[in-house]
Amino acid sequence: MPSKSKGAPKAKEQANTGSNPSSANPSNINPKTINERSAYRYEVGNPLASKKSEVGGVQGLSPTERATWTNLTYVRKAQDQKRLPLPNKANKDLWKSINESGVPLRGLDELEGLKFPGNKIYDWGRDRAGRDIGEYTPEQFKKRRGKRLRVTQLEVLGRQFQALRRKVGGLATLEDEEIDKERIRREELAKLRMELYGEKTGTYAQDPEWDDIEPVAQVEGEGALASIAYSDDYAEAMSYLRAVMAKKEHSPRCLRLTENIILMNPAHYTVWLYRFSIISSLNISIKNEIEWLNKVSLAHLKNYQIWHHRQLLLDHFYPLFDPVDGQPATADNSEEVKEFALSEMGFLKKMLDEDAKNYHVWSYRQYLVRKLGLWNLSEEIGYVETLILEDVRNNSAWSHRFFIVFSNPAHASSNPEIPATKFDPKVPADVTEREVGYAKRKIEEAPQNQSPWNYLKGVLARGGKKVEEMEEFCLQFVNKLGEAEEEVTSSHALDMLAEAWAEKGEKEKADLALRRLAEKWDRIREGKEKGGHAALIAPAHSYSSATSRSFHPPRPQKNLHSFGARREGRNRSKTDGYPPRAGDESASKARKPGAEHEGAQGE
Amino acid sequence: MMTEQLPDEMELATAAHVKYIQSLDTKKDEYDYWLTEHLRLNGLYWGLTGLHLMGHEDALPRPETVDFVLSCQHENGGFGAAPGHDAHMLYTVSAVQILVMVDALDELETRGPGKAKVGQFISSLQNPSTGIFAGDEWGEEDTRFLYGALNALSLLGMTSLVNIDKAVEYVVACGNFDGGYGVRPGAESHAGQILTCVTSLAIAGRLDLVDIDKLGRWLSERQLPCGGLNGRPEKREDVCYSWWVLASIEIIGRTHWIDKEKLVHFILECQDTESGGLSDRPNNMVDVWHTCFGIAGLSLLNYPGLAPVDPVYFRYALPVPTMTQMGLDIFAVSETPVKPGPRVEYVFLRCINSPVSSEWKE
Repeated sequence: MPSKSKGAPKAKEQANTGSNPSSANPSNINPKTINERSAYRYEVGNPLASKKSEVGGVQGLSPTERATWTNLTYVRKAQDQKRLPLPNKANKDLWKSINESGVPLRGLDELEGLKFPGNKIYDWGRDRAGRDIGEYTPEQFKKRRGKRLRVTQLEVLGRQFQALRRKVGGLATLEDEEIDKERIRREELAKLRMELYGEKTGTYAQDPEWDDIEPVAQVEGEGALASIAYSDDYAEAMSYLRAVMAKKEHSPRCLRLTENIILMNPAHYTVWLYRFSIISSLNISIKNEIEWLNKVSLAHLKNYQIWHHRQLLLDHFYPLFDPVDGQPATADNSEEVKEFALSEMGFLKKMLDEDAKNYHVWSYRQYLVRKLGLWNLSEEIGYVETLILEDVRNNSAWSHRFFIVFSNPAHASSNPEIPATKFDPKVPADVTEREVGYAKRKIEEAPQNQSPWNYLKGVLARGGKKVEEMEEFCLQFVNKLGEAEEEVTSSHALDMLAEAWAEKGEKEKADLALRRLAEKWDRIREGKEKGGHAALIAPAHSYSSATSRSFHPPRPQKNLHSFGARREGRNRSKTDGYPPRAGDESASKARKPGAEHEGAQGE
Repeated sequence: MMTEQLPDEMELATAAHVKYIQSLDTKKDEYDYWLTEHLRLNGLYWGLTGLHLMGHEDALPRPETVDFVLSCQHENGGFGAAPGHDAHMLYTVSAVQILVMVDALDELETRGPGKAKVGQFISSLQNPSTGIFAGDEWGEEDTRFLYGALNALSLLGMTSLVNIDKAVEYVVACGNFDGGYGVRPGAESHAGQILTCVTSLAIAGRLDLVDIDKLGRWLSERQLPCGGLNGRPEKREDVCYSWWVLASIEIIGRTHWIDKEKLVHFILECQDTESGGLSDRPNNMVDVWHTCFGIAGLSLLNYPGLAPVDPVYFRYALPVPTMTQMGLDIFAVSETPVKPGPRVEYVFLRCINSPVSSEWKE
């Protein structure tokens, strides 16, 4: 066994006496940074290294130095191999020489090539902030080392936990205390990993409950045209979802997983469907599910999936309402249904308070009315009326009113030949009267509001009444048409008057109405009004005949008198084609239907 | 045309929009991107349509497009929104439309379960007693799915797989007192649902069932003083309605009932001329959906430099010879009144079991 030398002190001396311009001088015994410390240690262990590089290689060293270096290198390597294959005499000489030179037997490996960038002996890497760990002070480094040791320790304990779990046959049989301890360990581990490496450990990876699941990463498909980057939480949750969906697992933890994903991305339709299948399998209380769904709905107002989910729930659980006297349960015959309906309506009201025109909500509402038979529920029509009182322009409310009144089985023939919009003899006259009256009152509130006008027309059609019956009503909003003091407070009224007069055969007046609309009262829809005029003048050629040939769009310039356009070289009365000017009384009188316009057809 | 009178900023910034669409699949660091994973295939379709209409069909790489589309397909023939998402009507339709656009429909046969499987998936979603289509096995019913089904099936040449008459019946039942159509019978008239109903009837050759003047009137009322269109009375204007309303009104031949110049102006104002893309209203955030529909709207209004768009099938209008080549059964061709700008040919496909009589053939 080679005798040990007092390596360190002698080496220091050696280092000091040698012509080593390197960093191994006394002041560095207290290195400020780890890099400095490494450099010092290197020098101490390889006293000839810098001399060697200085003189350009081993051949530049003095013979004594060369011998020392060679011996040392040999010993170091041999130490690695744990043997010194020399004959005894050579061995003795070797060790004598080494002891005399006083170099340390142990040291850092000599660097053959260049040192690391910045003349560093070793690259300690970077911390999470990107800082070179080699620049840490020794105290900082010690702390870091402490953390890393702790990480290792926690990992070991974690493995023990897994072993214990396997031994007892699963998580369920473990003591809660054990599981909690593991949770705490993992929390600490996650925290340390974040501090040391900036690594984020996902929520699911930290949860012992999910240990048995191997998360499935996103597969982008060939070419990855639509490559997706995620937020870490979402990515992790989705990878667990893929794994459990592949296993078709329906369990409470999966339910929680779907909830988590939905809260992050409620439009992900696949996860909703999976949730529903879990709910069905586990027979989850619908009341609880609906309560949860209500919260999500209020947070995400424009989402199809939420409402379809709600509908699925209702379809699935409606059969739980027992039929009454052989008839399906409705709000009319079952208190239970009525109560449920009212609770649903209560929630829908909350949604509509946020957005009174939410298409999904109204669509679901109609489904509910049909499903639960809410036609005669006074709260229903009452609510619609309240909404219209609050905002007479709420088209959705008007639309719903039409539905409630005219799709009510009591008022509608079940004859499939009669679509919901056409005249139905089953509609009681008093209902029609009532609705016409209602529409009229609301029109008076805001004459330029479209919805009640559309409603009025719809009611008239449904109830089999003629538009001309509205002439007097419309004239409230139109005064002195075509004259200097012309006053129109509703373009819709003027539009309806045109229709009414056309119906009555008063083409001149109808034409005037359309013209005034095109010129002043609804200029943006000039094309429509001109088209209406064309229909009046030449019905045979018009597009009013609803055949598919009407898809061939009409060519308004042909065969039709196009008013407003100036035409050269025509012998016409000067009012033809020109809007009547203020004060030009003759203009409105001069236009006569028939002859002049017939002439136009020759073009 | 009107562009001569418009200031520079009121031109269509085509280059910027092309760049925007191209950049969409590279925005890996944007939160919104993964939030819309469930729309991925639709997004691709909207982007591609926009590019085709702007004349930049090659801006997205074709092989990768096809690869991605096929990677969304399931064994049952249907397509999901992205790999791993459940099969659904909406994405199946987008898939078929994309493959037709890049002329890769044959790859369905060579690389997937085959066209027949796709047709089977779609047709299996029809409710035989009511005629409506569900989106998937979970049963949500919506006229959007009905339109999608008829659209995709006629592109595949497989409309005989479904009951067109029943589908037509359902659409008619969705007609409302104001002339419009809703998502289901009785539901409020809505411009989006109206387009799905009108196009469905067009595909079925049954536009005779539409009260054209009444609907035209309702649609024309969508135009607001700013020139933009809304989707229902008393709602705000939105550039996507430039498509929903405009295509409907074009199909029923009443486009002249709205002020086209004002609408063009409005759409152009919705552009982000620097970073590209269009938004729902001027100065809002852009997205590919509004970009696609704004450009389609401009095309339909004969804005110069854009390829003609087919309002029934919602893609660039294919010339008749191509349709014949594809084996589609053409029964009528019509033209719009000629204005400056490209001619648009609308092609109607006869459904094989439709009651349409032969006199409608031209």
